Amino acid sequence: MSSPPDTSLPEKPHMNPYWAGFGLGLVLLTSFVVMGRGLGASGAFTTAVATAVHAVAPDHATGNAFYAEYLGDGTVNPLKDWLVFEVLGVFVGGFLSGALGNRLRFSIEKGPRISNPARLILAGVGGALMGVGAKLALGCTSGQALSGGALLNLGSWVFMLCVFGGAYAFAWFLRRQWL
Amino acid sequence: MNAPFFKYDLFGDEISLVVAFAIGIGFGFFLERAGFGRARMLAAQFYFRDLRVLKVMFTAIITAMVGLFLLSRLGLVDLSLVYLTPTFLVPQAVGGLILGVGFVIGGYCPGTSCVSAATGRIDGMVYLAGMIGGLVGFAEIYPRVEHLVKATPMGQVTLAEQFNLPYGLLVFAVVLMALGAFLAAEWAEKVVGRKTPDPDSLLAPARPLAPVRRFAIVLVSLGLVAAFAGNPYRGAFARVDTKQLALDAGNKADHVSAVQLADWIVEGRNDFLLIDVRDAAEFAAYHIPGARHVPLAELTSDFVARNERIVVCSEGGIHAAQAWYLLRSLGFPAVYLLFGGLEEWKDTVLYPQAPPATAAPRDQVEFARRAAVATFFGGSPQTTGGAAPAATPALPKLAPPTPAAAPAGAPAGKPKKKKEGC
Repeated sequence: MSSPPDTSLPEKPHMNPYWAGFGLGLVLLTSFVVMGRGLGASGAFTTAVATAVHAVAPDHATGNAFYAEYLGDGTVNPLKDWLVFEVLGVFVGGFLSGALGNRLRFSIEKGPRISNPARLILAGVGGALMGVGAKLALGCTSGQALSGGALLNLGSWVFMLCVFGGAYAFAWFLRRQWL
Repeated sequence: MNAPFFKYDLFGDEISLVVAFAIGIGFGFFLERAGFGRARMLAAQFYFRDLRVLKVMFTAIITAMVGLFLLSRLGLVDLSLVYLTPTFLVPQAVGGLILGVGFVIGGYCPGTSCVSAATGRIDGMVYLAGMIGGLVGFAEIYPRVEHLVKATPMGQVTLAEQFNLPYGLLVFAVVLMALGAFLAAEWAEKVVGRKTPDPDSLLAPARPLAPVRRFAIVLVSLGLVAAFAGNPYRGAFARVDTKQLALDAGNKADHVSAVQLADWIVEGRNDFLLIDVRDAAEFAAYHIPGARHVPLAELTSDFVARNERIVVCSEGGIHAAQAWYLLRSLGFPAVYLLFGGLEEWKDTVLYPQAPPATAAPRDQVEFARRAAVATFFGGSPQTTGGAAPAATPALPKLAPPTPAAAPAGAPAGKPKKKKEGC
C-alpha cells in the first residue's frame, strides 16, 4: 500500500457467500491434506508478542510460562513458525483480492450513527477482548471454529456455539455502531 | 498416497513455511472475496440483515469435513495424523463467549481483521493493536489464571467419540444441519433484513437449478455416502509395505542405543514416547524413567496419537522388535527400538565399565561423562582398578531424576515449543 489506492474505480461486489465458503473450504482441506493441520490466526500474533517482549525484557519473557511456550527452546527463531508465515500470507491474499475488486480504501467501517473516534475505541476494545478470549479458548474463529468444526472437534463446537451466543446476546447494545 | 504429506516427512520444516505462506494467501483471498474485510458486513450477521458469516463459515466447514472424510475413507489420508486441538470444556466455552462479545464490539475476529487492515480499513488496524494489547494483558495475568485455563481437560476428542456415534453419520447430520441453517438464514434475510434474494441462492434462485442448489445436492449426496461408508480411520488391517519395512529393519535406522536414549532423557527431550512392553511385574521392579507401560496385546491402532515418535523397549530386545513390526504395520510412521533392551541399558548406562588406565584420554573423558549420566539415573560406574568387579549390582530405586542432578554440560529441559493449534 505504498501508493494511495485508486478510489476512482467502483468497488466490485463481493462473492456469493456459498462460493466463497467453498473456496475457503478447499483451502482448509488442502491444509489438512498437505500439513495435517488446520488454519489459524491468533497464534501468530501471540508468537509475535512473545518475541517482541523477549527482545525488550528477555528475563521477563522466559520467566512467564505463557511467553515461554511460544518462544520454544531457543534453538529456532520463534518467528520461523507455521502460523506466522500463514498469517503473513493472509495479509497478502487479502490485499490481492481487495486490489482485484477495487476495494482498497483507507476508511473506517461503521454505521451512520456513530462517530469515527467512538468506532475506533470500540474496535480497540473488541480486539483486546478477542485477544483474551482466543487464548482462553486455545484458538479463535479460524483455528477453533473453522478448522476444529470440520474435524468434529468437541471443544470447537462448544466454542462455536458460545461465540454466536455471546455475539447475539450483546448485539442489541451495539446496534448504534452498526445499523 | 500417504497424506498428510508433512506428517509423512515428504518435506521438511523450511518447505512447510513456504506452504504456510501459500495456504495463507488462499485463506486471506477468500476471506476478502467473502466481504470479511468489512466490519459492517460481518456485524450484519448479528442483526439478521446479511447472514454471510454463517453461510461462508458453514459452507467451508462442510466442504472440508466431507472432503476429509471421503479422502480418509478411501485410505488416501490418515485422519488420526490430522492435529486435533485438545478440549478444555469450560475455558473454551468462556473464551467463546468473550470472543463473541468482542466480535460484535470490535466487528472482526483475528483472521478477518488481518484482511481488513490489508485492504486499508483503519478500524481493522486499531482492532489488531487492541488484540496485541489483550494478548500482553493476558500473558501478564497468566501465572495467576493458569489453573483456570487448564481446567476441565478432556484430551483430543471428537464429537463422534464423545457421543459414541459413527463418524460418517455425524458428517451427514452436520451437512443437513448446515443446509437447514442456510435456508433459515435466507428466510430471515428476506423477512427481517428485507434483502432481495441473490439470483444464485437456495430459497429463491433465478432458475430452479441454480449452481448453489446443485452444489447443495452434491454435498447432501456425499454426506449420505459418508453416513453409510463406515469408519474413516485406518483400521487394524493395514496394508503393509513389506519392502519398506525390510529396508528400514535392514539399515538399522530404527535403532536407538541405550546411551543415546539416556542422553535424550538427560537433555529433557520430550518429543518421543518411551513404551515398555514387558509384563507388569517387571515394569514395577524397574523401568527407565519416563517409560510408559503398554503390554504387547494393548498396542492397538489408537493407543497413542499416530504421529508420536515411539521408542519401544523390552528385556532383551525380541519383544521390542515384535512390537516395532506390529506398530509399523498399524501405520505408525516413527517407531524405534531400544537396541539390546534393558540389558544393554544396565550394562552401558547404569553400570558403565571404566576403561583401563592405559586407555586414550578421549576414552577417559567419555567415561567421566558416562559416569555422570549413570549417577543421574541412580546407577554407578564400575571401575576395574581394584579386584574383580562386584557381582551384578542391585537396580536403583525408581526415584525420578531431578533436573538439578543433570550432569554438567547437558542443557536443562525447557518446555518444547507448541507446534500446532491456533
